[in-house]
Amino acid sequence: MLYFPQLSSGATGQFPMQRQRTARTVVNRSIQDYTVKLADPGAAVTQWNLSFNEMSDQELAALEALFQAVEGRLTPFTFLDPCDNLLAWSEQQDQPVWQADPLLTLTANISDPLGGTGAFQLTNPSGATLLLQQSIAAPASLNYCLSVYARSNSSARVWLVRGTETNAGSISTGWTRLTSAGQLESSGDSLSFGVALDPGSTVDVFGMQVEAQPAASLYKKTAENGGVYSNVRFRDDTLVITTIGPGRHSSKVSLVNVEHL
Amino acid sequence: MASFPTLKTGAVMQYPAKRTLKFNTNVIRFLDGTEQRYREEPSVLHQWTIQLDLLDEAELAALDQFFVSSQGQFGSFSFTDPWDGTVYPNCSLAANTYEFGLQEEMRGKASVIVSENRS
Repeated sequence: MLYFPQLSSGATGQFPMQRQRTARTVVNRSIQDYTVKLADPGAAVTQWNLSFNEMSDQELAALEALFQAVEGRLTPFTFLDPCDNLLAWSEQQDQPVWQADPLLTLTANISDPLGGTGAFQLTNPSGATLLLQQSIAAPASLNYCLSVYARSNSSARVWLVRGTETNAGSISTGWTRLTSAGQLESSGDSLSFGVALDPGSTVDVFGMQVEAQPAASLYKKTAENGGVYSNVRFRDDTLVITTIGPGRHSSKVSLVNVEHL
Repeated sequence: MASFPTLKTGAVMQYPAKRTLKFNTNVIRFLDGTEQRYREEPSVLHQWTIQLDLLDEAELAALDQFFVSSQGQFGSFSFTDPWDGTVYPNCSLAANTYEFGLQEEMRGKASVIVSENRS
């Protein structure tokens, strides 16, 4: 799997960064200014403008290796949006992208810590640990951070599942934001993130978020698309690298995701 | 009906805020200098230019999600005019492009234009 590399810090991008989304709408406008509109979702384009400063030799080598492997703008690769939550449907755990173990029950529209009703209540009535998780098509070898708000009146902990690793998080009756971060010793092309409940426990969860970076940022709600883009290309056939000293490189890259390609 | 997202302060816009009112009057001028005017459109249409600065990532993401769910200028939503609280039930984004920039943490910048549709 070809993918955009992370910096040695575990981050995918540096500030400043820009993201631009472009949609296409066919508009038929009458002389009285009434309109008939048709959407064209297949023509949507997303573009990122990323600047990298003070890159080390290894970081530059990784970026250059990808650019050569994809031959400029010819071949697509996977890009994990540094501005977004990688999970889809972050507040609708009843969507098919979420895999819940058979006996796990989900109740929606629970009040959440941000003042809305986007939280879910998970109940494990069984005698075994049960799991709610989502798989993403991303390299397992990168740095990831899973974060989730959780609370419970009946349980003191919930398990955070990040690929092959599972960590316990302490919770109470008030909302706590739990995180599990790090780099896995795996090399697969997909991995799963989620929460696991101890037997007989009931836990409210909200704002499950995965980011390809070492720490959690503010929660970002997602709908049908998370921040995993598997069809991204370099916008240009040129990669300009400026070196101002030993191990001090900088470059700017523009990436595009075009749905219809 | 969807609603335009608010910032975490509850506000919709920041200063400098711009509001445009648009009529469409046709003018026919005759040879003797007199003229006849008539309406091309039945009523005024409003447009708001929303420039936002110093946003955090969650606020930027909420705007981004709103753009995606609206599919650019395709979708319609209700918009509350922050000047007088009037609710305009049929509005759309005026452009098919949404761009944001992050200078650093909590230093996001974005701008959108909301147009009232003829109902």
